[in-house]
Amino acid sequence: MARPVAAMSDSASSKLAEPDTPRPAAGVPVEISGVAHVFRRAGMETRALERIDLSVRAGEFVAVVGPSGCGKSTLLKIIAGLLAPAAGQVEIAGRCVAGPHTDLGIVFQSPVLLDWRTILDNVLVQIDLRGGRPAAYRDRARALLAKVGLGEFENRMPRELSGGMRQRTAIVRALIHDPPLLMMDEPFGALDALTREQMRIDLEKLWRERGQTTFFITHGISEAVALADRVIVMTPRPGRIERIIEIDLPRPRHKEVVTSRRFAEYCDEITECFMRHGVIQY
Amino acid sequence: MSGAGASRPLPARILTGLQQRIGMIAAFLMLFLLWEFAVKLFGIKEYLLPPPSKIWSEFLKRQNVVMAGAWTTLTEILGGYVLAVAISIPLAMAIAYSRFVETTIYPVIVFLQIIPKIAIAPLFIIWFGFGLFPKLLIVFLLCFFPVVVSSVAGFKSVDPDVMDFARSTGASPARMFFKIRLPQALPEIFTGLKIGAALSATAAVVAEFVASDRGLGYLLQQYNGQLETPMVFAIIVLLSAIGLAIYYLVEFIERLVIPWHVSQRPTEMTGL
Repeated sequence: MARPVAAMSDSASSKLAEPDTPRPAAGVPVEISGVAHVFRRAGMETRALERIDLSVRAGEFVAVVGPSGCGKSTLLKIIAGLLAPAAGQVEIAGRCVAGPHTDLGIVFQSPVLLDWRTILDNVLVQIDLRGGRPAAYRDRARALLAKVGLGEFENRMPRELSGGMRQRTAIVRALIHDPPLLMMDEPFGALDALTREQMRIDLEKLWRERGQTTFFITHGISEAVALADRVIVMTPRPGRIERIIEIDLPRPRHKEVVTSRRFAEYCDEITECFMRHGVIQY
Repeated sequence: MSGAGASRPLPARILTGLQQRIGMIAAFLMLFLLWEFAVKLFGIKEYLLPPPSKIWSEFLKRQNVVMAGAWTTLTEILGGYVLAVAISIPLAMAIAYSRFVETTIYPVIVFLQIIPKIAIAPLFIIWFGFGLFPKLLIVFLLCFFPVVVSSVAGFKSVDPDVMDFARSTGASPARMFFKIRLPQALPEIFTGLKIGAALSATAAVVAEFVASDRGLGYLLQQYNGQLETPMVFAIIVLLSAIGLAIYYLVEFIERLVIPWHVSQRPTEMTGL
């Protein structure tokens, strides 16, 4: 909608490749410099984000953890080009983001599937909206669905599936075009604890196969530590980066890893950080 | 469940449909029987409450006149309704998409909706005379508002996250409309279409009451004036049948167009 010219040049550069010729693994680097944002409503100004600087390596898994209202969703929208920042800029693969960046996959807290399409067609809508040939991606979609345990459900309608299954569909939809960048905004936020744990394990597997640069927003501390190469800890309004913690744990993050002492220490470190800011009080 | 009902052969579906409604049909039959015998038993005068058998026989005697009237009324209903749908859906799109139209034209429409439309009917006679046109206009006016209001709500009801997802694909506005906004809006559009359909028959009869020389509304007044109560009943039944038929025609189209929505909707109030 905003700045259609920039949006058009973006989509032109991200021409859909045929599914059987995958691009080389690894994602794109993302450079966030001096990004700040202010919301104006009814004459009131709310500072949502204050000077965010962050370099993300190609293929890195970055988790952003922070309390509600710290502007993490705003940050994700700015990186994806869905929202223009009040100041600063974002570069993806060396190119400045202006208007919606299209060479990415995006997952929200709710699966936002289309009620009138089957699970398979909901995955393929990604191709459809991009003006590609959905038929060419059918096999790949089936394979991905099978990989996340939805093989038998491809012809079901979204409402016939559980919340976890719908969210898996949304993740497959975000990966069907093999994007080098994956943006996830609290993707497991609406799921129960057991489903959440399984989804976490599956997501790590999918990420390790392709190595797309991944932004994962959450307010689950242990979830962030379990998934990320780096955890970005944000503090509440105006949101800014409080700490960046390198998670030096072996992958895959099996049960032994997530129950290890070092894992617990990482979690402690983040918890204490929030305690200092009064986000968590005892 | 979903596809199961649609894939079965039609005769089988009609049969199960009848089976489900057997209680209702029986109840109606009982009602008519009770009515018939009560009228005879208590010696109620025919011009007050005629028995069903008398209504039927009177109707058969004058069916040519009545059917000609029904045709006139049906033309008014369908003409006005189609006109309302053809104008209100594009208008709703304009309101939903253009901030300018929304802030200028939509408030006027909402305000006009408050006017009791039926009260305008005599004015139309002054302006447009006795013919078909003022009747079309009144049917149009009554059907127009519910369709506009629900369609605007439908076009605006898209989840912002869905739009963000769609924008992240770089989809063209046309693709976004046909793949996302329009299908998303259809359930609410059909709600408006059904309300409009239910109002259309009432509108046509009121229009004929005000001034006309033909149609079921006109006949109703004539027979009423001559105390031919069996014919009054016959026409009321016929009008109800027409209203019901139009409503179900719209609902049938709804089933064809948005089966994904119809099948998940809880059983409706009408239960028919």
